Amino acid sequence: MAVWLPNCLTADAIHARAGHQFAPPSPGKDVTVTRLADIFLKAALAAMLMMGSCALLVLALPMDARALETAKCTARPNGESGSDVYGGKETRITWEGLAGTEEPVAALSLTLPPGTTFSTDDARVTMLSGENNMDRTVIDAEVSAEGETFTAKFPEPAPAGGYFRIELYQVFFPADGGPMPITGSYVLDNGTELPFDAGAVQTIGISATAQLAESLEAQEWVQAWNSNKFLRLFFNPPIIVESIPIVFQGFLLAIAIVAVSFPCAIPLGLLLALMRMSKIAILRGIASVYVNIVRGTPLFLQIYIAFFGLPLAGISIPPFVLGFVVLSMNSAAYMCEIMRAGIQSIPGGQTEAARSLGMNGAQTMIFVIIPQTIRRVIPTLTSEFILLYKDTSMLAAVGVMEMVYNAKMIVANTGSITPYIVAALFYLVITLPLAKVVGNLERRLDGVMPKKKRKQVAEQTIEDAS
Amino acid sequence: MKTKKLGAVLACGVLAASLGLVGCSSPAGSSSASSAAGSSAGSSADAETTEVALLNDGQLTVITSPDYPPFENIENGELVGFEVDLAKAIAEEMGLEYNPVQMQFDTIIPAITAGGQGDVGLSGFSVDPDRAKEIDFTTSYYIDDQAVAVMKDSGITKDNAAESLNAAGVIIAVQTGTTGETYAQENFPNATIQGYGNSTDCFAAMQSGQATAVCTNLAVVKRMIDTAYNDAEVVLEVATGEEYAAVVSKDNPELTKAVNQALQQLEADGTIQELQDKWF
Repeated sequence: MAVWLPNCLTADAIHARAGHQFAPPSPGKDVTVTRLADIFLKAALAAMLMMGSCALLVLALPMDARALETAKCTARPNGESGSDVYGGKETRITWEGLAGTEEPVAALSLTLPPGTTFSTDDARVTMLSGENNMDRTVIDAEVSAEGETFTAKFPEPAPAGGYFRIELYQVFFPADGGPMPITGSYVLDNGTELPFDAGAVQTIGISATAQLAESLEAQEWVQAWNSNKFLRLFFNPPIIVESIPIVFQGFLLAIAIVAVSFPCAIPLGLLLALMRMSKIAILRGIASVYVNIVRGTPLFLQIYIAFFGLPLAGISIPPFVLGFVVLSMNSAAYMCEIMRAGIQSIPGGQTEAARSLGMNGAQTMIFVIIPQTIRRVIPTLTSEFILLYKDTSMLAAVGVMEMVYNAKMIVANTGSITPYIVAALFYLVITLPLAKVVGNLERRLDGVMPKKKRKQVAEQTIEDAS
Repeated sequence: MKTKKLGAVLACGVLAASLGLVGCSSPAGSSSASSAAGSSAGSSADAETTEVALLNDGQLTVITSPDYPPFENIENGELVGFEVDLAKAIAEEMGLEYNPVQMQFDTIIPAITAGGQGDVGLSGFSVDPDRAKEIDFTTSYYIDDQAVAVMKDSGITKDNAAESLNAAGVIIAVQTGTTGETYAQENFPNATIQGYGNSTDCFAAMQSGQATAVCTNLAVVKRMIDTAYNDAEVVLEVATGEEYAAVVSKDNPELTKAVNQALQQLEADGTIQELQDKWF
């Protein structure tokens, strides 16, 4: 084959060159003669070359027939997310290969690296044919396993040049990971056995959490625990262990989004609040339209519009950035109202006093009103922070890989609700302490001092009195 | 509305009963099922209880994620599609009322496992030994393949699809929890696989440039391109030969059997073929 192809090309090339050389008809009576000579020469040349290549093809066949070639060899990713294939965890191998044009394959076998286990249950051998290999024929092969070798014996030899696919389930590669070369061999209808290279799968050593999860799975108390449907669905120990590191990544992203968008939303909200209280009607109008639209529509919808709408308008922003922009813009509308309420709650006497001291409007705002406002709005702002933090979960719908997104991936893979519980715990880690802080701040603002301090003050008063 | 439904149930009951009389291959299943319909419609005399545990008596509650045309989607406010018709036919065959429940695809299997939301999940589930650990599959009623679609101006063509999709910087939109997701992760490890809740979002993401390509089942890709996304094209088709089947909780093997019987009957009388001709 390899010899035949270049020969064919040469023949074509000579054809082309000959044609080119002789094609322009030379003027005069010699034309016909030249033409005839040309045709004769071309025919003779082509015939010679064709005979030569045929002979070569025949000669080359026995030793140079194209052998079975691996087209692909992959393993199904078995991490909780991503494309990684881990050792020591169940996976599925898909091997595809194209048999030689003269090779009617009667049996195929794959030998996996030492230490690998697999099951012949569900193993499937398929032959693909037709345009784009879209026609499938399932081969009812007799499958067997011997050590690390999987063999499929076809009921009758497949037509030569077949494209085969083998799917092997419940494969466990060695736990250490690394490249997993797979070798193979096939038997022709005449009984000749030939080896081939079946490719390799890159695996990663089993992670500490996965190992822990595996060992948990084997424990008796875990099995007893999981025999209860409720506990299995909501508090499955191995799934808890496996979800924690993945959900934690989402946790970091959620924190990052809030840490950027919250500080951005504060000045934006303050600006909007000042605009809403401005004497200039246009500014007031713009701010109130913005605040009413943003507060009057669900954040979920705003996220969808921003993620699928903005890029259509030619504005392309990476998902993380877009997520933080949408959240800060949304939060700013709420903060505007918080700030406005805060500013308006400062008694009018403060402004009057400042003005009587000779401060102008801006000075009054910056040095007298806003500092007092900030103190008053801190508890409400903290609540807004909690809301914003929880709202990051909505970004999951548009593929931002925060907590809910990661938890959802595991839920989809395992069918257990446990990862959602883990994600809920990660939310609580932040929200519970903050809620406590808000409570304390509010109490202090109400004029109620913390117990300890109250006691100190009381003692002080008694001392002073005596 | 209520009376209309009752009428439909009555009709179902009569139909199922007549089928049973005509001599179908599974007398046991259909007789018990038709008695269920009878009791729900209040027409049949024998109030024999069904052996199949159902969420609502006399109703086959089917969970589906209607974002998967031509299998199931919402058109003018109505749930339509191949699997919707099939679910109706199965319910009719079992002598039950069809009660659709809508849910996001990746929540259906957990919902069926947990129970309390529906009896059967019918939403383009490919039979998969991994999924079979969580759930029971019925016999399959359709075979589908995977496909990858890109925008026509993406520069990815049929000739270079396999290589250019498996490159860093390529974002492939998939529906979370689908076989398309697994296929993309396994075969395009260098690309970023971005999961979305449903296939409509995947296409929206691709059109808006958030993703380079969409990988999902062939029939869906074709329908999406035909109807809404004319500026996209299929660049890769893979004959994965996935068998679609309904999913039933492992705790309810009787229901699996009953659905299998209904499917067998629908296969035998040509209904499934008819529906396939109608939708594909």
